[in-house]
Amino acid sequence: MNMLVEQVRADLLAFSRRPETLFFTVFLPVIFLVLFEAIFGGQSVTLAGGDVVAQSYLQVPAFMVMGVISASFVALSITVVNRRETGIFKRVRGTPAPAWLLIAGQVVTSLVIALLMVIVMLALGSFAYGVRVDIGHLPWLVASVLVGAIAFSCLGMMLAALTPSTEAAPPLANVVVLPLYFISGVFVPIESLPTWLGNIAALLPVAPFVKVATWAYVPATTTPWRALGLLIAWGMVGLIIASWRFRWTPRRS
Amino acid sequence: MPAAISVTGLVKRYGDHAVVDGLDLEVQQGEVFAFLGKNGAGKTTTTEILEGYRTRDGGDVSVLGEDPATAGAAWRAKLGIVLQESRPLGALTVNETLRLFAAYFPNPHTVADVIRLVGLEEQANQRAGRLSGGQVRRLDVGIALIGRPELVFLDEPTTGFDPEARRQFWDVISGLRDLGTTVFLTTHYMDEAQVLADRVAVLRDGKIAALGTPAELQALRGDVEIRFALPHGVELAALPALSTQPRLTGGEVRVETTAPTADLAVLCSWAEARGLELPALTVERPTLEDVFLAISGETA
Repeated sequence: MNMLVEQVRADLLAFSRRPETLFFTVFLPVIFLVLFEAIFGGQSVTLAGGDVVAQSYLQVPAFMVMGVISASFVALSITVVNRRETGIFKRVRGTPAPAWLLIAGQVVTSLVIALLMVIVMLALGSFAYGVRVDIGHLPWLVASVLVGAIAFSCLGMMLAALTPSTEAAPPLANVVVLPLYFISGVFVPIESLPTWLGNIAALLPVAPFVKVATWAYVPATTTPWRALGLLIAWGMVGLIIASWRFRWTPRRS
Repeated sequence: MPAAISVTGLVKRYGDHAVVDGLDLEVQQGEVFAFLGKNGAGKTTTTEILEGYRTRDGGDVSVLGEDPATAGAAWRAKLGIVLQESRPLGALTVNETLRLFAAYFPNPHTVADVIRLVGLEEQANQRAGRLSGGQVRRLDVGIALIGRPELVFLDEPTTGFDPEARRQFWDVISGLRDLGTTVFLTTHYMDEAQVLADRVAVLRDGKIAALGTPAELQALRGDVEIRFALPHGVELAALPALSTQPRLTGGEVRVETTAPTADLAVLCSWAEARGLELPALTVERPTLEDVFLAISGETA
């Protein structure tokens, strides 16, 4: 247990000292939310169930999801590839530390950052944009963010396992994630997409996460069991491929 | 006392090529053992098999009484490993790095003790990414020492060092010997082996080509080399009979001999009788470096 505390402490310290990952993971989603609120904040939207809510009720959870994915998927895969290719993982595998510790260190670190993102977004949403969350719904919000963060951590491990080099890690992660933000209801409401594109996006992992997070955030919508199931299924796919292709040692050796 | 490392008939193949080809080795406890060979001789492959990183294709290996291929966490707790290519995390300070690694081991040294041992007191709160090459390597050794290892592996620890940094590093290794730690050091610097090692093994084509103390290895080639430039108008065949056949390389005659006094006397009286001078005449003992180059198959 002490080992895990030390590992997470060190991983969080290392994370906080890398300005570029800190910017892309923590600040970029916040900047996006602020910009989108400035542009679309006054508008209201009609939900599928017929309720009319302010646009902010959809934008805050959408960018919260972006922050969680940045922490769990993007930052995690980049860090894992980096640790593998610089021989740090190999080095720790030569100590009595168990293998799970290194994975747990990374995942717990990304969960901590994800929860931090949730807090920042919640605070921004309620103080700056007047989006109040029902206290009774808060556990659901935390639970859905955790499910999403764990699923995307598994997908991040999968991406890391498939990424050949340190140089390839940041562009690969962003190439995967940026188009998904566009078609999954983060930047653009999913209703305004062509039907075929919306149908494809609904099967990919980002849209279900947005749906689950929005449900947990906006009390009115019906429970999205299908989206939750899809999110978990994607997490399992990530986990299976990651454990099949994962390696501790640099690719070049 | 059982050997710290015992290897018989070790074989490792990549495809059809045997990188390690029937290697036998024994390292005693408390010994500083240097493992030499040119690049590609199988040094790192052998070392990583001993460390448990790679599997083997044949032979018996015992490291601290266990087979590295199956040994577990309790065995790894007795090892300290400095990899050839690994670098510590640049974002963490020396202190933080050692504190993290200390958490991996059941009975670690204190961070402060290790920092003193590797001489990084002034850099304790500096991030690893801002250390010099030599300081990073000393931190690497510190990481390897934090768990109170019985056996330390150092894979080419001083490659790329300036002479000053190498000397400081050697002091750290000498300190390990005083602690009674067994050290297994791979290097391609003969002087490093000469300064640090109790015994030296020279690896060639995946086998041990020579083994002994530095002095014993040097004695392997007890011959002395007489060199001079061939005088004008004289053929190699015209030289007097010596104890061995002279060689001619680039206008320079080389006589590797075990009887230098007698050979010199013959040569000098032959030259004097003909009124010849032997230009650039020198007599040299081979250095340990020459011995290593000859044994390892590298061309001087």
